[in-house]
Amino acid sequence: MAGLEYFEVESTEPDGGAAYKEIAGDVLLDHNLVRVIEKLRIYIDPEIPIFIAVGVLRKLPTEVHLRDFSSVAVEGQTATIAIGDETYLAPLLDILWEKYGKPAVDQPDRFNITITADQPIDPNLQDMVVKDPSETLFKDLIYAMTNIAPEGFKVRRERYGGDRFSYVASEDTLLVPADALLSEQWARMGEHP
Amino acid sequence: MILVPVTYRGGVYRHDEIVDLIEDLGGYVIQKHMIATEVVLLALVPKDDIELIRTIGKPLTGEVTESPLVGTEIAIVTPSLEIHHLPHPACDIAEYVRRLGAKSNMVGLARGFGKRIAMLNDEERDVINEHDIAVYLLGNFENCIKKKLPVLRRGIKVPIILTGRPDREALERIADPPVAGYVGNIGRFMHRTREADELGRLDAVVAEVTRVLNERRAEIAKDPLSISPARLMAVINEKVPEIREVTSPTPITVQIAALRVKLPYDTFASRLRDLELEDGITLGSIATIEPSRMRDYIMVRILPFSETNCMV
Repeated sequence: MAGLEYFEVESTEPDGGAAYKEIAGDVLLDHNLVRVIEKLRIYIDPEIPIFIAVGVLRKLPTEVHLRDFSSVAVEGQTATIAIGDETYLAPLLDILWEKYGKPAVDQPDRFNITITADQPIDPNLQDMVVKDPSETLFKDLIYAMTNIAPEGFKVRRERYGGDRFSYVASEDTLLVPADALLSEQWARMGEHP
Repeated sequence: MILVPVTYRGGVYRHDEIVDLIEDLGGYVIQKHMIATEVVLLALVPKDDIELIRTIGKPLTGEVTESPLVGTEIAIVTPSLEIHHLPHPACDIAEYVRRLGAKSNMVGLARGFGKRIAMLNDEERDVINEHDIAVYLLGNFENCIKKKLPVLRRGIKVPIILTGRPDREALERIADPPVAGYVGNIGRFMHRTREADELGRLDAVVAEVTRVLNERRAEIAKDPLSISPARLMAVINEKVPEIREVTSPTPITVQIAALRVKLPYDTFASRLRDLELEDGITLGSIATIEPSRMRDYIMVRILPFSETNCMV
């Protein structure tokens, strides 16, 4: 699939493996994860049964600051925020309500917010972090893996952190061979866990 | 008179003339859809009169096409109703057979997933057995289909069409004892069927369903039913006026040898049993009337001539 530097699906049943390559491609596209993943290797053995996915991510998306999507004017105890992109409006309002209280935050229309606080407002308000996409990234990734994995593989173990993740799932208890198979996948991809 | 299943598509304007025409010719309208300014009639009409309907329908922008699946009810069985099977391919196939006139129901099993843990409960078994045919949509691995199929078909008496990713020969090899039909190269996929080769596979499913149902019809023709299901539907429509108050799109679902009447069993079963069809012949004497496993509907199974010795 275009976009991934390494993308392999291996299975003991080659025809089924080819079908799963298609499924994995479709799911990653649907969940907008193609740009995030650099390398992905999936191994499926329906005989054991086991499903293993190991992957390396690209550079994680950066935090979204208030200044990235709005212009901010702070004057003593009042501030006016003019928003250009509504995508992050909901998390922004949550933060402002938490910080200044609901009565202090007024939203006369969709694109403007005025804050009237009872203490001076931080002049560097525009540098505030509104959203950290990496927080939900791994959640999305693991959700995508559960969609790709054959149905009924309810026993699962996932690890993530840094720029790599692994996902092992089976119908039965994950026994010792699972670990060996997992490290084998990392090795075959030319990476380490 | 041989009745042929057809679909009529045309404008809403004066479509009642077509309905009357079909009824006057001795045919039956099984289902009528009104979609905005279009009307779709699924009907059984005499073979010799199709041209006549075409001619009369032409000024009304009506089109008549043969739909081999009109008057059948098909169960599309998937191991679950999770994202793994829905909306593709389960909905794609259910919708495709619907276009050819069948009434399709999706049956998502409660615990059909997993090759070791898959099972079929009695309600699911009975619901599937209330259809003319069951299309099993299984997955991509031969190994899993081989292990699961014996469990998922336990107690199923209707013909089964097995579909999956392995090719037809492989499916035939692993189904033991054999099922009624096989369609390979489908399996599980996660995108909409749009490409020509994918649509070709859906056509293969329809062809296989049609083939198996035609065999079933031929089987029934050897010992004909005491009344044709479409005719029985017309009689019930006429003599049980309460059916017109049912809001379901098909208050009476027609199958090859049965009807599902969507009225409460407790209130209407005895009335249906005593319903007089012709010269003192009651429905109870030529059909079994049982509670359906779908809600509180009534399942009317028509008995063959050999059992009742009468033909209405």
